[in-house]
Amino acid sequence: MQVSKAYHRRKIVLYMFVVIILFVCLTGVLVNLMIFDSEKYIEKANELHERERDIKAARGKILDRNGVVIASNKTVCTISVVYNQIENHEEVIEVLSKELELSKEEVTKKVMKVSSREKIKSNVLKEVGDRIREYNLPGVKIDEDYKRYYPYSSLASKVLGFTGADNQGIVGLEVTYEDVLKGKSGKILTVTDARGIELEAVAEKRLEPVAGKNLVTSIDVNIQKYAEQAAKKVLESKEAKRVSVIIMNPQNGEIYAMVNVPEYDLNNPFELNYILEEDVDSKEYQNLLNKMWRNESINDTYEPGSTFKIFTATAGLETKVITPNSTFSCPGYKIVDDRRIRCHKAGGHGAENFVEGTMNSCNPVFIDTGLRLGVDKFYEYFEKLGLFEKTGVDLPGEAGSIMHKKENVGNVELATLSFGQSFQITPLQLLRMTSAVINGGNLITPHLGIKTTDNSGNIIDEFEYDVTESVITLETCETMKGILEKVVAEGTGKNGYVEGYAVGGKTATSEKLPRGNGKYISSYLGFAPANNPQVIGICIIDEPEGIYYGGTVAAPVMQEIFDNILPYLGIEKSAK
Amino acid sequence: MIDKIRKGIKGNGYFDYSLFFIIIFMLCFGLVMLYSTSSYTAQIKYGNGARFLIRQLVFDVAGVGVMLFTCLLSPSFIKKFSNYIYLFTVLSIFLVYPLGVELNGARRWVGIGPMTFQPAELVKIGVIIIIAFLAEKMTRKIRTFKGSIGLMFCGWIPAGLVYICTENLSSALIIAGITFIMVFVASPNYKGYLAFIAFVAVVVIGVIAYCKTLDVNDAGTFRVQRVVTWLNGDTTITDENFQVVQGLYAIGSGGLFGKGLGKSVQKLGFVPEAENDMIYTIICEELGIIGGISVILLFLFMIWRFMIISTNASDLFSSMVVVGVMAHISIQVILNIAVVTASIPNTGVTLPFISYGGTSVLILLAEMGMVLGVSRRIKIE
Repeated sequence: MQVSKAYHRRKIVLYMFVVIILFVCLTGVLVNLMIFDSEKYIEKANELHERERDIKAARGKILDRNGVVIASNKTVCTISVVYNQIENHEEVIEVLSKELELSKEEVTKKVMKVSSREKIKSNVLKEVGDRIREYNLPGVKIDEDYKRYYPYSSLASKVLGFTGADNQGIVGLEVTYEDVLKGKSGKILTVTDARGIELEAVAEKRLEPVAGKNLVTSIDVNIQKYAEQAAKKVLESKEAKRVSVIIMNPQNGEIYAMVNVPEYDLNNPFELNYILEEDVDSKEYQNLLNKMWRNESINDTYEPGSTFKIFTATAGLETKVITPNSTFSCPGYKIVDDRRIRCHKAGGHGAENFVEGTMNSCNPVFIDTGLRLGVDKFYEYFEKLGLFEKTGVDLPGEAGSIMHKKENVGNVELATLSFGQSFQITPLQLLRMTSAVINGGNLITPHLGIKTTDNSGNIIDEFEYDVTESVITLETCETMKGILEKVVAEGTGKNGYVEGYAVGGKTATSEKLPRGNGKYISSYLGFAPANNPQVIGICIIDEPEGIYYGGTVAAPVMQEIFDNILPYLGIEKSAK
Repeated sequence: MIDKIRKGIKGNGYFDYSLFFIIIFMLCFGLVMLYSTSSYTAQIKYGNGARFLIRQLVFDVAGVGVMLFTCLLSPSFIKKFSNYIYLFTVLSIFLVYPLGVELNGARRWVGIGPMTFQPAELVKIGVIIIIAFLAEKMTRKIRTFKGSIGLMFCGWIPAGLVYICTENLSSALIIAGITFIMVFVASPNYKGYLAFIAFVAVVVIGVIAYCKTLDVNDAGTFRVQRVVTWLNGDTTITDENFQVVQGLYAIGSGGLFGKGLGKSVQKLGFVPEAENDMIYTIICEELGIIGGISVILLFLFMIWRFMIISTNASDLFSSMVVVGVMAHISIQVILNIAVVTASIPNTGVTLPFISYGGTSVLILLAEMGMVLGVSRRIKIE
């Protein structure tokens, strides 16, 4: 038996020291990793573990004035796969390509991609999502999501607008009230294991979504439908390019209906509402879409023509340059400076007073009125009646008026202005101006949004709109109502007469620029009851074929609409 | 007679209780960490969260039995059978040919019925015993170059066999390392050994320099690839360094105090086979640097006890056995922690007492038994 010697012990102690040194080194490495580099690794590890998922907030509904839902949400599904959880790749590819109608190559590429979560398709119908769910495939995730849905598809399409892929408003009310409607999306922050399965033990951080508010609009679905029907009818019978109808409450500016036919399908807003005859590139196609989405009632201006005589008459009466009894003589034309401006009746209207002149829509009468007003007064009232400014309607992209510079206006220009030519305004501006003339002189703000509500119908917020009071006197107002009633009762607007109601109105026929091309815009502006107007409406027919006189073409449209909606609105027939 | 038996059991009245308790503590701590690390994946894979825990517990209990048995064996008894033990363990390597079981793509296990064991682990104990036996027998010859080389090959030949037959490089390196340290301690010389260390260092540096010129994708075998990815030092996940990088995420996200026992996220399938070589990463993640350093200190203390016991052993054979065990534990701990901290290229080394593994714990506890047996025979003067 040997006993260990001193050198043995020395060497053992030496080895011990080597071990200690190595342990110290490793401790140093560990300290470096866990203290100094710790943050980097914690961040990387969290990146690996945490999944942040948005919980989309339901977008607020848009309701009509009676609570009928005109823009709503539909549940759709987003299909995605989690690579680590898939058990049978072939089956998953097979099922997904079949159900989602995608090519196998496309699905295979996404399914075989090693990622924590790969989206296959979004905006999948709920029924399809449910069918896929029934296969019970591990690793296939079906998330429900909201998609905007318009139950009346094309009704008031150019007013409502639609939403994009992320449910954000793109045009129309959806844009104006984006902040109200969109709500706030919530978040789920979960920790998952290596297969992407969420851990129940680790408390998930959850931020609840806040649903968007519902928007109650002034639109009345029934009135909108009536108006659309009537507009469509005349669009077809007159083979017109388009027909716009606006129905409004002249007292407070609430718009009951705003029709611009042809409308488009809000549930498929990226499809043209007509058949393209030739192929176009994507840029051109987008242009065509933009054109289709335009709300011509507010985005486009036009020469109003004779309906604008309401303005000239009002300004004339206000400044007292004329009275209803002022007498005029129409030989069929009027010479202004060196120009001979014709009346629409070649033989002339002969001797007539102002009321008769308006009933006849006699151009020389209004040229005379305009010239008596002078440029300054004309412009003063143009401004007073809100024609220089936008109406302030709660829709995006409103156009402003196109008017001569005041210093450039001579007698000829003033003469043409007086009967509604050589400048452009939007139909809604004309309607707003006329409303002020007949409602006692209050310049209202036309609008659609009335209030926001929650899902139980409780009011959250009520909108208020500017009103400029007393822009004209009550006296002028009463006179104008009387004159315009006569226009319908006995004058050019008699096709606008509604059995049992006192209706006021004015017709217009304006030739489109350039003159002499044979293209016209026929329009009619009417309101009822004449003495206390509750409804004002305008109908504009762009490029009707055949007879194009406003009184013959446009007035009957409004007559038909009024015939339906006046009883509907509970306006009693007058004894007269 | 009775006195003699009593003395045989009691030894000389000394018993290294601190080593004994540290072993028991390590086993218990290992079980706790093993359960924490493996329960989630075991539940998913086998439907039984305690699968690894129960298996390890069985081996731990059996291992403690083995430890008590080897504790009672006298050195002369072991010496008598050292040749046989050595031969048996070395020959067991060849069992992989008729009875080899492939696990995780490596042919390291031998299966007998439902049992599997790693011959490489057996070889470690065989080599420790034979070198201790020969070191005592040829104290004079060992001074010569020829003698020390001969002794060295007693360990290196089995190491080579382990590498060739079971393709287990890490175990082969551990066996070779144990041999080198034992022969170094047994010999009074320094020069030759230092020269050898210098030579190894030059070779390692040369290999590293060569690997640096390689691209991962050009590198031939998976070993070269591992070296190259380790050298690149990036922590983006690739197939090759996946395990190590995931381990680094675990260690790094532990911070000072860790996430708390059981709260590791990386063990949820992110660190592959976390209960095995990578268990230290989960310890760091759950117990923080405090826990990580505590484990290092525990091993250091254990190795310190080995030093005390070996320097006080009653005879050279006993002393050398303890040196072998000391080398075995220290090499394995250093390699394991170095791998998981990405200080050296990835090679599969388990953490003694804590990593999951039946053969490993049986052999380790047999070794512990021998060390405790040596401590019993220390003469207190």
